[in-house]
Amino acid sequence: MVNGYAVHTLQEALEVRNGKKVTPYAGGTDLMIQAKEDAVYLFLNKIEELKRITEDDECIRLGAACTFTQILEDKSVPEILRTAVSQIGAPAIRNMGTIGGNICNASPKADSALIFFVADAKLRLISKSGERILPIADFYLGRGKTTLQEDELLAEVLMPKKGVGNFYYQKVGARNALAISRVSFVGILSVEKDTIIHCATAFGAIESTIVRKPEIDQMLIGKTIAEAREDKEAYLRTYEAAIQPIQGRVSTEYRKQVCMNLLQDFLVQNGIS
Amino acid sequence: MIRFILNGKEVVSKASENTRLLDVLRQEFEITGVKCGCKEGECGACSVILDGELVNSCMVAVGSIQGSTVMTIEGYRGTERFAVLDKSYAQVSAVQCGFCTPGMVLASECILEKNPDPSEEEIRAGISGNLCRCTGYNAIVEAIGIAAKEGKGLW
Repeated sequence: MVNGYAVHTLQEALEVRNGKKVTPYAGGTDLMIQAKEDAVYLFLNKIEELKRITEDDECIRLGAACTFTQILEDKSVPEILRTAVSQIGAPAIRNMGTIGGNICNASPKADSALIFFVADAKLRLISKSGERILPIADFYLGRGKTTLQEDELLAEVLMPKKGVGNFYYQKVGARNALAISRVSFVGILSVEKDTIIHCATAFGAIESTIVRKPEIDQMLIGKTIAEAREDKEAYLRTYEAAIQPIQGRVSTEYRKQVCMNLLQDFLVQNGIS
Repeated sequence: MIRFILNGKEVVSKASENTRLLDVLRQEFEITGVKCGCKEGECGACSVILDGELVNSCMVAVGSIQGSTVMTIEGYRGTERFAVLDKSYAQVSAVQCGFCTPGMVLASECILEKNPDPSEEEIRAGISGNLCRCTGYNAIVEAIGIAAKEGKGLW
């Protein structure tokens, strides 16, 4: 029995994906933890087309098989992403783990996916018959569940470059290295002429998918910092009511308290105190 | 059949593609310097250098390394760099039970390969995926620092 297909081009990968029931394998760092004896992998780690980092006017385009180390060492990658990635696992995991695997594993604790959520990144999915591009939020159906079709592969992440410069990121884990997030939070805020022109926030590890509430962040957009201070309590209360952390290794109450502390600190750090 | 370079020699593994590299190394090739600690990438005891980078061999399916180069402590021990690390580890008693040591030495190599003059913080970050339950790490950090000085020019 064949338990793996090693391919070198995207075309070959799509052919295999089209005809066989395979599990896409990029870095293996999630898959091999729960390795099954009958697993059949489609190895994507040697496909150069999936390891490229390029830019266009609006986006940085990251190949799905880019490793975390590659992301960290490429100065064209926005700092917000490099900051989050630098806290994933340890060097040996970052050398193998990929952003595509982090996204497709569909854990709400995925530290790189959190950044893609807050940046409103898009995913480019391809199959033998074509491609589709969709917002990352639309990719998820629940914990471990995505809309990836059996003949599709994630090819690229399209991450907007604008608006991510002023960021606040916190990963709350039980230790410094090799930590799995208990709560993670990222917020970005852009101010022009004292007016908030963009605000986006996202929480990881609290619900079955990463949480992003653009309708709540909208409460602050268009406001001056002084006006945002006035609206701060309403914003925090609305957010508090909108998130429902799940019970895990840590309690719901703990998670919620940490979420609110982080959100509050994000505002304070931006002068909304 | 998966062909790769193991410690400088071409080998062919008959293992199934989804087998952990760790198991292939220990069982098929009897390379026992690679230790099995956790099988989930947490301990670093199974560290090897794959195509120049430190990896946990428990998290690598052997089918993914067709044509790659793998170095374990058995291959590394013949190098000049190893001799420097060997001496510095011994000098400050950075080894106690020895279970983490092969992985720790390979992690040391990867730190110095990327950065021949690392700060203490960079050394600690570099070995952050390699657990040691005996030494408390300080001696290991010191040993890597000594190797950086004593081995100047080698890295």
